[in-house]
Amino acid sequence: MRTVFAGGFDSTMTDAQSTICCLLVTASLLPLISCVIVLFAGRWLKTAAGGFATAMLGVSVLLSLAAWFKWAGTDQSAIVWSIPWIPAGESWFYLGALVDSLTIAMMAMVTLVSTLVHLYSIGYMKGDPRFSRFFAYLSLFTFSMLGIVMSNSLMMIFVFWELVGLTSYLLIGFWFEKKGPRLACKKAFVMNRIGDFGFLVGFGILFCQVGANLMLPAAVTAPGNGESVAGGGVLTVYQALTLPAAQGGLGIDILNPPMWLTISGLGLFCGAIGKSAQFPLHTWLPDAMEGPTPVSSIVHSATMVAAGVYLTGRIYPILTPTAHLVVASIGLITLVMAACMALVMTDIKRVLAYSTLSQLGYMILGLGAGAWAFALFHLITHAFFKCCLFQCSGSVINSMHHEQDMRSYGGLMKKMPITAACYAVCTLAIAGASIPFLGIGISGFYSKDGIIAGTIAYGDAMQAIGGWSNLFWLGPTVIAYVTVFYMARSFALTFLGKSRDQAKFDHAHEAPWTMWLPQAVLAFLALFSALPMFRVLADITGAEQAMGIAYVQTVTELGHDSRAMHSTHAFLLHGFGWIIAGVAGVLIYTPGMTISSKIAALPVIRQLYTWAYNKFYFDALYDIIGVWLGKAIAKLAATVDKYIVDGLVNLVPLLGKGWAGFIREVDEKIVDASVNAAADIALAGGTALRSTQSGQIRTYVLGVFVILGIAGFTIFITMMLVH
Amino acid sequence: MFEIGLHHYLLVSILLMSAGVGTILTKRNAIGILIGVELILNAAGVNLVAFNNFSWSGGAHGSSGVLGGPVIDGVVFTMFVIVLAAAEAAIALAIFLNFYNNHSSIDVTKADELKG
Repeated sequence: MRTVFAGGFDSTMTDAQSTICCLLVTASLLPLISCVIVLFAGRWLKTAAGGFATAMLGVSVLLSLAAWFKWAGTDQSAIVWSIPWIPAGESWFYLGALVDSLTIAMMAMVTLVSTLVHLYSIGYMKGDPRFSRFFAYLSLFTFSMLGIVMSNSLMMIFVFWELVGLTSYLLIGFWFEKKGPRLACKKAFVMNRIGDFGFLVGFGILFCQVGANLMLPAAVTAPGNGESVAGGGVLTVYQALTLPAAQGGLGIDILNPPMWLTISGLGLFCGAIGKSAQFPLHTWLPDAMEGPTPVSSIVHSATMVAAGVYLTGRIYPILTPTAHLVVASIGLITLVMAACMALVMTDIKRVLAYSTLSQLGYMILGLGAGAWAFALFHLITHAFFKCCLFQCSGSVINSMHHEQDMRSYGGLMKKMPITAACYAVCTLAIAGASIPFLGIGISGFYSKDGIIAGTIAYGDAMQAIGGWSNLFWLGPTVIAYVTVFYMARSFALTFLGKSRDQAKFDHAHEAPWTMWLPQAVLAFLALFSALPMFRVLADITGAEQAMGIAYVQTVTELGHDSRAMHSTHAFLLHGFGWIIAGVAGVLIYTPGMTISSKIAALPVIRQLYTWAYNKFYFDALYDIIGVWLGKAIAKLAATVDKYIVDGLVNLVPLLGKGWAGFIREVDEKIVDASVNAAADIALAGGTALRSTQSGQIRTYVLGVFVILGIAGFTIFITMMLVH
Repeated sequence: MFEIGLHHYLLVSILLMSAGVGTILTKRNAIGILIGVELILNAAGVNLVAFNNFSWSGGAHGSSGVLGGPVIDGVVFTMFVIVLAAAEAAIALAIFLNFYNNHSSIDVTKADELKG
């Protein structure tokens, strides 16, 4: 399978390939046009803005699906279309599109979910004073996400990465009149930026070593082999690192890499940590629930947080084994921690938020462990069911007059049957439900299963770190049951049992069609999307797929085939575990929190409960590190500025003043004095001479005669002497 | 008898001049100053006549004057001096009259407007 590189639309692309490229680029640009039109014409469109934006995105979906059909007809070699964009030294940064199976799948998913969320928002945001602006933001967000999906180079992905962060900020802070959203949107953006700092470190290292055309590797064959490349003279990052020098690369062996390659891979992953809310930078995601529910359903469950996973998937070939270990560990920590916190939360959106964190942990763990195809498959299926779950919760919140605490819910199944059905389907999907022993199940089953199988293989392969390697598969397996338990808990608390707030319950009603229709569509996809996605995956892994047998590609250099592993552990995974956990959850929580509060009062459990309820005190820690420390540094800087810098600056005029005073003294005492002295002398002389002018004639006459006499006498003497 | 020489006349002239200068310098009365001025002029006249007589070809001895007669240049010049003295006295009197109109006095110590 070769790839085609095209600068511009040159003739090396076949017609079909250039059509696909055009379709996808148009599909990406339509949301941008929609955003611009809605922004400027929103005042006249008013409520029609919602329908307009949805329609534009609907066209995008059709274009993506058309591209998919055409793609199935080609030989599925990756298409790279680039235009030189920013000059950088002797080479260029490129803008353009990278189209391979992963892109096609992601484009279809993002546009579809986005269209459904737009439709949902028409119902949810009805009556909001800034109705049309919401759709402008949503469309802009969709455009940015599609940009990430289509990116062909690290630079381009970075641009759209930031754009996604920006639109997420705008959307979370949509109701900025309240304090909660204001704080939450800032927190999200700042933590994103912290991750981006790591991204730039990684990016910078690669830029220095490899040059500017940091083209992403295409997923043509299984990454890890040497063939995921683009041709045509522009090397991808992977090629530029691994090819021997004669072919233009650096000749690095990924198994024995130089330290900087690990650091750069981890740096790029830091961006994913920030964007996908992984372990150290996870606290922004639960707070982001302050935004409207459609925002939560698309941005913080399906797409933006998935962007980090997508990036890690794209840079997968250049991650060294050490980087893989770090990625897997962080994923593991996140998934365990988030599941524990989701167990004790009482706000329905918070439960779903922590559930998202946990599932993202699964995906990152899968990527680190080598189950590349399944991690990305899980990304797609998770998008469907998590979006649906959020939308169901949004319907419930809406009908219960914006009450989000599950302790006031109960028995809503009678009032909102469609929503309850969708929620149930998606709970089963997130549980990875399957018919035991038959290996047939819901979409979530295939993807989660594949990840767990991959982690088992990874645990075996990582014997070098001893017994700890077992954590890599124990963690996800145990947490899979915990996941079922807490999702069943939220379902039971919300829909089953008796109503705990009768007043609100009486007013509850089913959601309008614009809200339950997207939910139903998503639930349907959650049920049945495995098959076509699996087919796409078959093209990505290049191996034959058979239903019910998960093939996992591990870190190929270690050459481990996990097929055997999977069938021995099949009992655990396909077995009764999820049923037991699910039933337990439903039973414990149907009558409300009564049974659970008795359990939670037990000594050890109570301590764990308190820790989990306080989110393991991460917020307090970040408050000290981030906020207090930042303020302290700012105060210090302000003091330095005020006393030292300002002092120095004020010193200069003081010096000037002193000098001016000195000069003035000189001027007064010396210069003026001498001038005055000259005048005084003249005055004294004049006064002295003046006394001769007495005005008396006789004095003057006397003077004349005296002078005459002297003159005459002198002449007489002279004449005497001469003779 | 001793011969009356030139120096006797000059001595008289000096005495007259001194008297005149002394009068000018010491008199407060304007008319007195005029008298002094007359004395000086007349002293000059005496000088002129004396030199007329005792010059090379002057006085009773010579006969190289105009038309073969005696040299009388000095005497004629003296005539001029006397006339001029008279004219100058008239003008001086006019000035002093004006002075009297302004100051109601002819005391020259009162004429000190030029005092510096």
